[in-house]
Amino acid sequence: MTSPILSISGLTTEFKVDGQWRDVIRDISFDIGARETLAVVGESGSGKSVTAMSIMRLLGANARSHGRIDFEGQDLLSLPLENMQAVRGNRIGMIFQEPMTSLNPVLKIGDQITEVLMQHRGLDHRAATAEAIRLLDKVRIPSAAARLNEYPMNFSGGMRQRVVIAIALACEPKLLIADEPTTALDVTIQAQILELIKTLQEEEDMSVLFITHDMGVVAEISDRTVVMYRGDVVETDTTERIFGNAAHPYTRALLSAVPQLGSMAGEPRPLRFPIVDMETGEAAPVKPTADTVRRNGEPILKVDNLVTRFPVRKGILRRTVGRIHAVEDVSFEVRAGETLSLVGESGCGKSTTGRSIIRLTEMTSGTVEIDGRNVGEASKTGLVEIRREAQMIFQDPFESLNPRMRIGQAIAEPMIAHGLAHATVARERVAALLEQVGLSPVMADRFPHEFSGGQRQRICIARALALDPKVIVADESVSALDVSIKAQVINLMLDLQEELGLGYLFISHDMAVVERISHRVAVMYLGEIVEIGPRQAVFENPQHDYTRKLMAAVPIADPTRRRTRQISSDEIRSPYRAADYQPPKRLYREISDGHLVQIDAEAA
Amino acid sequence: MSTRQKDAVSVHTAVPGTSVHASPLARTLRALACDRLALTGIIIVGVLLFAALLAPLIAPQNPYDLAQLDIMDGRLAPGSESMTGTVYLLGTDDQGRDLFSAILYGLRTSIFVGIISAAIALVIGASIGLVSAYAGGRTDAVLMRIVDIQLSFPAILIALIFLAVLGQGVDKIIIALVVTQWAYYARTVRGSALVESKRAYIDAARSMALPDRRIIFRHILPNCLPPLIVVATMRVAYAIMLEATLSFLGIGLPVTEPSLGLLISNGFEYMLSGDYWISVFPGITLLLLIVGINLIGDSLRDILNPRREG
Repeated sequence: MTSPILSISGLTTEFKVDGQWRDVIRDISFDIGARETLAVVGESGSGKSVTAMSIMRLLGANARSHGRIDFEGQDLLSLPLENMQAVRGNRIGMIFQEPMTSLNPVLKIGDQITEVLMQHRGLDHRAATAEAIRLLDKVRIPSAAARLNEYPMNFSGGMRQRVVIAIALACEPKLLIADEPTTALDVTIQAQILELIKTLQEEEDMSVLFITHDMGVVAEISDRTVVMYRGDVVETDTTERIFGNAAHPYTRALLSAVPQLGSMAGEPRPLRFPIVDMETGEAAPVKPTADTVRRNGEPILKVDNLVTRFPVRKGILRRTVGRIHAVEDVSFEVRAGETLSLVGESGCGKSTTGRSIIRLTEMTSGTVEIDGRNVGEASKTGLVEIRREAQMIFQDPFESLNPRMRIGQAIAEPMIAHGLAHATVARERVAALLEQVGLSPVMADRFPHEFSGGQRQRICIARALALDPKVIVADESVSALDVSIKAQVINLMLDLQEELGLGYLFISHDMAVVERISHRVAVMYLGEIVEIGPRQAVFENPQHDYTRKLMAAVPIADPTRRRTRQISSDEIRSPYRAADYQPPKRLYREISDGHLVQIDAEAA
Repeated sequence: MSTRQKDAVSVHTAVPGTSVHASPLARTLRALACDRLALTGIIIVGVLLFAALLAPLIAPQNPYDLAQLDIMDGRLAPGSESMTGTVYLLGTDDQGRDLFSAILYGLRTSIFVGIISAAIALVIGASIGLVSAYAGGRTDAVLMRIVDIQLSFPAILIALIFLAVLGQGVDKIIIALVVTQWAYYARTVRGSALVESKRAYIDAARSMALPDRRIIFRHILPNCLPPLIVVATMRVAYAIMLEATLSFLGIGLPVTEPSLGLLISNGFEYMLSGDYWISVFPGITLLLLIVGINLIGDSLRDILNPRREG
């Protein structure tokens, strides 16, 4: 490695909490060479973002750092704050996670870029405008000149992130700090942005400090990797060695919890994650799953021609000017003990499908049968019966528990409200349920804020199980969790399926998790199922273009399999249609037993 | 079941006996006790509340009992002694009424009227706000337009009209105060209920097919309490002030049941002749009460701020 452009040694940052200084990161040391991409990876609370903020000295008055941060031969920590202004934006550019909020919504895109150029590079207005167009071209925004006068709301998430990158590049920085720049984006858009960052790095001769929680992204982009755990650097090495031969037990534990797309080839059934001991780095042997699917008899959940549309109204008379076709002619079945995954990108209607099934959202047409009972025609009392059979687990475990209710009460509530159990019986049941999801019964008296994210999701599962449901709709239930916690919760869901014969409708955007947990998979795009079939068939022999595109976009947590792949530059289209739009009747082609693919309307 | 890993559990096991285990109410009270300004407010309000409650025991004289008054003791300065030898700590008014006793009894009336009217307005307003937010659509639109109309008139004007129609009396002024106040509660509760009802735990409650009543009162309402409590404290102070204003104008409480406002009004005409105490001491008492309540309200607002909750 040539002499490093950024060299951090002994960096410790403390925060003032209740009048006391507490260290959040301790004795961090690493270097970034010229034109090198260094990834800092860790789970939430590992201090990776604090490290980036410390480098930029953006932490404010209740934080202090010591150690050395040498950037191009200058110690940033001993620099007066005024002089940091010349470093920030000028020589170090930064991009943040949330593209929706890191642009000012009331300023035109062009003005936001020229402002930086005129401030930092002293260009006049005309030169700045020309430069802004060049920058937008550089980040591959089509017809850049025309888009200068548009506001951020006219740009999609991926396009906004491109604008943010253009602003970061405005002063030709030597180092780009990217703090989870693709976490909020869909997987196909994420692939585009990662590709863009790689290309720009070569064109601009930059170094990149890439902060992420996603091992797949790390494998995809970085030359060297720093692994952080609770404020300490546990391992620094080349990315190949981190993935191939990690020294530290934590790194190994982290990697074993990362699902890898394609790792399930030849496996007929879902597979538990190996749980690695954080101390020894030894993986416990994985217990194979039993065959839980009950193939004879009626399916537990049967969805036929489900349609859910939301009217878009305008004007004083609230006239319907168009409709969001969130779910369009969707049909599938789930059997007892079976997991069907609905997978797709944001806005594809997978969550609306789940909500329509248990009537949290009213469907427009179609029939849903749960255990032989029609959900759409159910009366209010009938619906109570049905909801006992089908329960839902939500995405955000911090949001889906009432913060003012003890968790014991929260789990007992459905039983008591439905008159299924008296207080004493309910208490025993709560204890049993808590045990079942791997928590201790003494925790029943605590409030949700006393639990971590993974524990809260276990509580939500316990609550869903309280009514002895036959089918559970899990809407992105593990997406908000750290990888190691995610692996544990998925193992728990597989255990429960074996014990109770539950049917799962597993809704997720994460292809790798879906591959791990499902018996069958349905791929959704713009409200429609484009491909459905047994997991092995869909993943090993994808037929629809969109399924292939989706799989190609998933970053693989293995740097040796880094692909030179074709990234499509498509945007995700909107399911908004005019009021008089009649959707065409889709036809499906059967590839093999139960594996159906939508016939492309244009091709047919 | 014992084979299931419990490693996730050990990560976040709370230390027993620490504050994390407490209910939200207990945490709020503890935070209040640690806040110096709030403590000052609590002490002021506490002392005044006790004085008002125990007025018949503390007061040297019953100011309502005309037989105990001596017109010859009229307008005595603070600290002066009466014919019979009792000391008038804060002086007397024009009818020879001991001001200290009158203030204690006046405080009783003021606080009673303030708290009762605020409580009734809270129950009515909060229910309307919850229904409005949960029902949505046309119900919501109609209810909120009524609130808009109500809030576009000055409170004092509405109270004046009501009292002109109803006449004087404690019950009448409570009705007038409730009418002028409920809309504030309705608007506050609707706002936070709308936010809460969009959150996933309400979806979770609905997906468990809990009855609407239970969702509204067991799930939404408790989570709307923080802003409601803050508004309620401030509104109690406002109700007391409004009552004082109305009494000062002579249309609130009858002269036989003098509240603080009426006492201030009584002394008003003697202000320029140098007999300041008749108006000033009831005025200071009113000021202390209002400031005390507002100090508590301000601290509650800081403590109950959702961004501070962990």
